[in-house]
Amino acid sequence: MLWQIFITFLKVGAFTIGGGYAMLPLIRREVCEKHKWMDEMAFMDGLAAAQSSPGPIAINLSIYVGYHLRKGKGMAAAVLGTVLPSLISIIIIASLFSRYADSTLARKAFRALKPAVVALIALPLIEMAKKIGIKLNNFWVPLVALILVGILGISPAHLILLTILVTIWLSDRNSRKV
Amino acid sequence: MFTMFLTFIKIGLFSFGGGYAILAMIQQEVVARHGWLTAAEFADIVAISQMTPGPIAINAATFVGFQRYGVLGSILCTFGVILPSLILMAIITVSYIKLSSQAWFKDIFKNLRLLSLGLIGAAMIMIGKDAFPDFFSVVIFLLAFLILWRWKVNPIYLLLGTAAVGMVLG
Repeated sequence: MLWQIFITFLKVGAFTIGGGYAMLPLIRREVCEKHKWMDEMAFMDGLAAAQSSPGPIAINLSIYVGYHLRKGKGMAAAVLGTVLPSLISIIIIASLFSRYADSTLARKAFRALKPAVVALIALPLIEMAKKIGIKLNNFWVPLVALILVGILGISPAHLILLTILVTIWLSDRNSRKV
Repeated sequence: MFTMFLTFIKIGLFSFGGGYAILAMIQQEVVARHGWLTAAEFADIVAISQMTPGPIAINAATFVGFQRYGVLGSILCTFGVILPSLILMAIITVSYIKLSSQAWFKDIFKNLRLLSLGLIGAAMIMIGKDAFPDFFSVVIFLLAFLILWRWKVNPIYLLLGTAAVGMVLG
C-alpha cells in the first residue's frame, strides 16, 4: 500500500507540466477513480483544506491523501513521491543544460502546453461545480472569489479567514435561534 | 546555508494560493531581500520551473538551492518550503477526521468548497493570462478541452501529445 501511494504520486509528479493546479485532475483521477481510495466529497474537502493551508497546493493535497490512507507513513510516501520528480529533473537540468529554457524545442512544446493546461484546469472546474451543487443562490461565492483573487490580486488567505469566521458566526447565530 | 533554509521555511509558511504566490514570495526574499540571485537569473528559474514536471514552487526552491549550494542546497530548500505544510496540513487533516461529524465544521467545509472553486478559477486566469498569444493556442485549448471532456483521456497522454504537437507545429 505504501509503495502504491508513493508510485501514484511519483507518476503524477513526473508527468504533469504546469504546476500544482494542473496536477489536481490527475490526482483526483488516481485517488477517486482508479484506486478508489476516497470518495469525491472527501477529496474536494481535501482540496479546500489544501488551498486553506499555506505552501504548495499539490504538497498539501498529497499530505491529506497520504495521511487519510496510512497516517504518518502514508503522508511521507505521498510527499516523497510528489517531490522526487521535481528534485531529480531540476538537478539534472540545472547541472547539464543550463540553457534549457532557451532551447527552441522546449519553448515550442511549452507554448502548446500552456493552453492545454488551462483546459486541464477548466474541465474539473465544471465537474466540481456540478458535484458541489452550484445553484443560483450560491454561485456568487466562487465568482466573487475568482474576481478578487484572479483579477484584483487579493491574497486568498483573507478570503479563507473571512469564510471561516462568517460560517462560525452564522452557525452560532442559527443555533441560538433554536 | 542555514539562513537559506530558514528563509524557505518562512516562504512556505506565509504563502497562500499555491505556486504563483510562492514564486512572488521567493523573488521578494531571494532576489530583493538577500540578493542571492539577480533578477535575470530568477526569471530563468521561473521559466524553467514552469517547463519542468512537478509543482512550480518545489521546482523553483530546488533550483535556487542548487545554484547556491548544489544538491544539498536543493534538498534543504525543498524541505524548508514544505516543512510548514507538513506540520499545518497534518494538523488540518487530523482535525478533519476528528471533527467532520460536527455541524459547524461541516458548514465551514461546505463554504470552503465554494471558495475552493473560485480559487481554482483564479489560478486558471493567472495561468491563462499569457497562454493565448495566437490562434494556434486557442485551437489547442479547444481540442484539449474536447478530448478531455468527450473521451476522458488520461491527462498524462494529453500533455505528452500536446508537447509533441508543439514541437512539430509550433
